[in-house]
Amino acid sequence: MDELRNKARELLESGAVQMVIGYEQGTGNKTRAVFVEDPVQVPRLIFDSRCVQNLAVYMTKAEVRKKGKPALVASVPVLRSLIQLAYENQIHDESLVVLGVSPDLKLIEFSNLSEIENYLKQYTLEISIRDKEILQKLENMSADERWQYWTTVLEPCFKCYACRAACPLCYCTQCTVEDNRPQWVPVASHPLGNFEWHIMRAMHMAGRCTDCEACANACPIGIPLNLLTKKIVMDMGKSFGDNGPSLTARNPMSTFRPDDKENFIN
Amino acid sequence: MAEFEPKIVAFVCNWCTYAGADLTGTSRIKYATNVRIVRFPCTGRIDYMLLLKAFGEGADGIIVSGCHPNDCHYTSGNFHARRRWIVFRSLMDFMGIDVRRVHFSWVSAAEGAKWADVVNHAVANIRDLGPYDSYKKLAQNTEREISHG
Amino acid sequence: MARIGVFICHCGENIGGTVDCEKVARTVAGYDGVAYSIDYKYMCSDPGQSLIKQAIKEKELTGVVVAACSPRMHEPTFRRACSEAGLNPYLCEMANLREHCSWVHEKSDATTEKAIDLVRMLVEKVKKNHALQTIKVPVTKTALVIGGGIAGIQASLDIANAGHQVVLIDREPSIGGHMSQLSETFPTLDCSQCILTPRMVEVAQHPNITLYTYAELESIEGFIGNFKARIRKKAKSIDEKLCTGCGMCITKCPNKKIPGEFNEGLGTRTAIYVPFPQAVPNKPVIDRLNCTYYTKGKCRVCEKFCPTQAIRFDQEDEIIEIPVGAVVLATGFTVKDTGFFPEYGYGKYRDVITGLQFERLASASGPTFGEIRRPSDGKIPQKIVFVACAGSRDPAKGIPYCSKICCMYTAKHAMLYQHKVHDGESYVFYMDIRAAGKMYEEFVRRAIEEDGVNYIRGRVSRIYEKNGKLIVKGADTLLNAMPVEIEADMVVLATAGVANEGSEELAQKLHVSYDEYGFFSEAHPKLKPVETNTAGIFLTGACQAPKDIPETVSQASAAAAKVAGLFSKDELSREPLIAVVNRSAPPLYSTCVGCFMCATACPYQAIEHEEIRDRKGQLIKTVARVNPGLCQGCGTCVAFCRSKSIDMEGYSHEQMYAEVMALLND
Repeated sequence: MDELRNKARELLESGAVQMVIGYEQGTGNKTRAVFVEDPVQVPRLIFDSRCVQNLAVYMTKAEVRKKGKPALVASVPVLRSLIQLAYENQIHDESLVVLGVSPDLKLIEFSNLSEIENYLKQYTLEISIRDKEILQKLENMSADERWQYWTTVLEPCFKCYACRAACPLCYCTQCTVEDNRPQWVPVASHPLGNFEWHIMRAMHMAGRCTDCEACANACPIGIPLNLLTKKIVMDMGKSFGDNGPSLTARNPMSTFRPDDKENFIN
Repeated sequence: MAEFEPKIVAFVCNWCTYAGADLTGTSRIKYATNVRIVRFPCTGRIDYMLLLKAFGEGADGIIVSGCHPNDCHYTSGNFHARRRWIVFRSLMDFMGIDVRRVHFSWVSAAEGAKWADVVNHAVANIRDLGPYDSYKKLAQNTEREISHG
Repeated sequence: MARIGVFICHCGENIGGTVDCEKVARTVAGYDGVAYSIDYKYMCSDPGQSLIKQAIKEKELTGVVVAACSPRMHEPTFRRACSEAGLNPYLCEMANLREHCSWVHEKSDATTEKAIDLVRMLVEKVKKNHALQTIKVPVTKTALVIGGGIAGIQASLDIANAGHQVVLIDREPSIGGHMSQLSETFPTLDCSQCILTPRMVEVAQHPNITLYTYAELESIEGFIGNFKARIRKKAKSIDEKLCTGCGMCITKCPNKKIPGEFNEGLGTRTAIYVPFPQAVPNKPVIDRLNCTYYTKGKCRVCEKFCPTQAIRFDQEDEIIEIPVGAVVLATGFTVKDTGFFPEYGYGKYRDVITGLQFERLASASGPTFGEIRRPSDGKIPQKIVFVACAGSRDPAKGIPYCSKICCMYTAKHAMLYQHKVHDGESYVFYMDIRAAGKMYEEFVRRAIEEDGVNYIRGRVSRIYEKNGKLIVKGADTLLNAMPVEIEADMVVLATAGVANEGSEELAQKLHVSYDEYGFFSEAHPKLKPVETNTAGIFLTGACQAPKDIPETVSQASAAAAKVAGLFSKDELSREPLIAVVNRSAPPLYSTCVGCFMCATACPYQAIEHEEIRDRKGQLIKTVARVNPGLCQGCGTCVAFCRSKSIDMEGYSHEQMYAEVMALLND
């Protein structure tokens, strides 16, 4: 990705940014995030189809912000997260330089966040065939069978909170699980506590999740967290017409319509 | 062997359903003893985690009730609550929690008779469903580390 | 360590007859943190309350649970008792053993068990209660009344007579509103201006009222008791201090053919004008859109002739800032014009007019000096048709509601016509006759029985012109929908009453809700008809919904009473059960991350942005802050906050968690 590297070098040398956050070759066949501050290190930057980690997560980390203004390599899921972060007042136009990368690996330069939002309009949140099948299978099960499925799937969770760390929208300085007055969710891994943690996190994602699957990718055990996020994203779209992140459209969870439809309230 | 009597918690809003339940009392309309009412200023205040906590503490069923749409004392609390429940109920169902055990209703301050109906209906319904053993089992597997302060 | 006192009331036999109160008291006494637990016949009585007060002192109680009737009944009573004994009143909770237990269940073990459960839940909750102080907010005792029609005038006078300052603004050059355009009012046929103008003068002369006409609200900020309003005084092009209202400029102005707004386009006025002779203030303004000087740079005749040199062509709009404590919205309504009806000619037939235009014809100071004449040729119509419900009650036209006043004013118009044209024939096409006020039904009966107005129950499908006459095609549904065709000389449409132009923008400036028709929303349709959801902003008159003059005046006085109530103290006292965003020591300052989901959800705009800065003024973070004057304590924000940084006093996370967790534990 020469274009990307050249632009990165240019930005660092001119002092427009103090750091470029992108991807580099990791161990084995994996990629990992890299924080390039010296133009000499620019060749470490790569971009290919293995680069799925959501780099927007670094925009809310104080340690990263302290280093100065970054340039961020952003594929479409990352761009979505940036828009959602901007909507939630966590970043604004001056916070960073966005080095967009299109699905066909071309560099796109954005001068502000509205341009990003415009650019994103052509991409809808897609659900893969494989995920659709699993979701359909779950829907066809009885509630009891689903209970069995989820309690089994969540049992090995050992509360490492990698899902939380990887999610760009989990930026609370103090997460509710760290609140012990009262202790809503038990700290250690427990069958019920795991359940409560994941259902709570899914609810916190309602109307905000951009379906980047960083959480599922980060889970060391491979819990299919993407099913939960997909379900929430689908529900928000179906029930409230949520079209994904936007700088101006209001969050569907903190707004309402007087004629919201439901069939379970008497 | 005593017949199973379900334990029901009701989360209600102060201005409508709580007042409606008061009216049921003033009118001396009788209903099942199984329900315990928890008072909130508005349904908008009801945290969904409390529903899970109630199940975890051994409740077999939950009633959530508030003002009719457009009548909320705080204008829009019940509208926000309604959205929240739409999402939460769907998520609960997706994860296999028995949503038949959670009854939602709008009961106004004038609907004393309706409140009795809601309770009786919920109690009968949940008595048929039986105790919520699957949730209780998960809760018992848990070593409680919760501080009660 | 908690030392909770539990007081179980028998309430005579009301609770004691069904619940084993002694057992409840005994069981609860064994709970962790309960220092004292007794039962008594009547807790709310004097001896009962004394028991509580004594126990607070002797047992050094840190919290009290009174298990008795509903808290909606006696919570204030017991909180006061605690306060008198030196315990903060908000450390007292009530368990409802009567309305929710003894009165709805039979006497049984299960009932007593339930009572024990309920008491235990509240004991756990009260252990987490915080001591709270009532919130005091200062009050500026000036009211801003927006709109100078009868509603605004009445409200202003009532508030001013209560001894408070009023600033009354109206965007027209004169106050008076639509009532000043009416000829006679129903059901008394009082001359409208005769009853209105004394009030208008009273407003102008009242020492407590400051009147700004030709002025609009530019912006407003603040909260109840502490608003800051910015008013734009539009340039009148006159120095009001020098102008004596002699009217010389008006007589000399060569630009005379501008259609006059006061006469609803049926008459003309000059470019420098006073809207009507009884205008208050009786000083002219220059209509810059039509004045020859402003459009073409010529003339200046008025300036030449003004005896006091009061003309100021270069005057600019002025913005003034006023601190006010309350706002009363009295911006009134308007009616649809004839152009709204394709089936009635799209407004191109000059003899098809609105009810308001008819008022101007009937008015003695109107364009025809009180004679009913056709606008097209000035002839007196011999046959006149009145069409009621023109646009109202019509979902297809987007106006499904009833405009309330048209049945009455149509009857009035028909009567006036008959009084003025003795041998004239008048017809009223109606759907229903809504004459529900005092003496209203008798009034309509008079029109039919004494004045010979012909009432036809049916709608008018079309009106078109033929040979100088207006052909009105309708049906008589009381005669089996028999078609009726009338060759009329004039048609008066009782057009729908709709929200005034600019009401949406005004509502948005004030954060007041409005419905899909642009009418402002009251806080509760039955119990709070003059309040809005924004504390300190009140509504009155037709801006809330179409209504007649008696109702408008009642509502105006009601709003004034609310304002006077607000101003009766120097400080507003409010229940402290409100939301609060946590604050802690640096470098955290607050766990709030400033996403402001809470602010979006708040129905009262009570959540503000607070910038936390270091000593050098650098911004560290922006967090949410709840305005204690505005928050009404619904708790919706609390349930939204993902990090639980916002909490609510009285129903905090800890309290509700404790209450729920105590449900089933023994």
